[in-house]
Amino acid sequence: MLRESSKRSGSLDSLNLQGAVDPGSDSGVPHGSLLTAFAEAAVRRTDALPGLRERIAAELGPQELVDAAGVVANFQRMVRIADGCGIPLDEFTRDATDDVRDDLGLHAFASAANTA
Amino acid sequence: MPFAYAATDLPIRPKTVDAHRQSWEIIANPGRWWTGAERVEIARVARAARDFDAPTTELLPEAAVYAIQKLVVDNANLSREWYEETVASEGMTEDRYVELVAVVVHALSIDEFHRALGLELEPLPESASGEPTRERPAQADQRYSWPPIVPKDGLNPGDEMLYGPLDWGANVISALSLIPENVRWLHDLSEGHYLSFAEMRQPDPLRAISRPQIELIAARVSALNECFY
Repeated sequence: MLRESSKRSGSLDSLNLQGAVDPGSDSGVPHGSLLTAFAEAAVRRTDALPGLRERIAAELGPQELVDAAGVVANFQRMVRIADGCGIPLDEFTRDATDDVRDDLGLHAFASAANTA
Repeated sequence: MPFAYAATDLPIRPKTVDAHRQSWEIIANPGRWWTGAERVEIARVARAARDFDAPTTELLPEAAVYAIQKLVVDNANLSREWYEETVASEGMTEDRYVELVAVVVHALSIDEFHRALGLELEPLPESASGEPTRERPAQADQRYSWPPIVPKDGLNPGDEMLYGPLDWGANVISALSLIPENVRWLHDLSEGHYLSFAEMRQPDPLRAISRPQIELIAARVSALNECFY
């Protein structure tokens, strides 16, 4: 979805998918490092979270902060549905991500076993 | 009225508030396999699990409590063997498991929204009386996931379009459909927190952050949870 949305927005050339899995990599998405740091602090519930909230509200805006929190909340749900039901990758996702899953280290995840 | 958000100046979207209130009402009422009191208890145990707390409960079977805790804090290490053992345990079935997962993940998602924004958690709802309907859809079918799913013609009236042109939706959309109401619930909270199923196919602008920013956050959360899907 990240690659597809970047393609649609015309920013595919600057996209670095490693930014989604490695906090030390720049994703190429505007404010991407700040947003992924916020996501990580929210998921891991670290002390960095209040400061990151303030930065997003100040640098992007309060609605942007609320929408970012919504995405975190949504995917805290979706990953548990996927892994709690043992679903495999959809065929179209499998085809579209064939070239990057190894590079991103996704096959090391236990839930990779759900996709033959 | 729950979810008034009176103590914050943050611009919480009306659709988010609606989805939260609707979720609390769904949790409070009897489902197909659990009473309202049991469903609220499931949400309570899930909330505590996020704090690595394990409250005592006499309302839920032991296997249900363990399943809730695994789903909340050890979701990266679930397996088919664990699932099969869980649904074969005393007080559990495939149907009860699917309903439990739905309550856990929706309650957790709303709590996570609050935690991410530094807001107080909403008190859990008072449960409504009544008995579960104990109705398994006749169309339930074993396909690709651990629990059976319900194809399009077995969903509740009006929800068939949520599966799109296929007879079942993307795997994650149909994953909890053994309880067909879950498909609508999944959609409505998606719309409140992320995007509606229709918006997922539409171009920016959709929210205050761009679609690539939305999907980057989604990918990071998935990676942190070690979710292959």
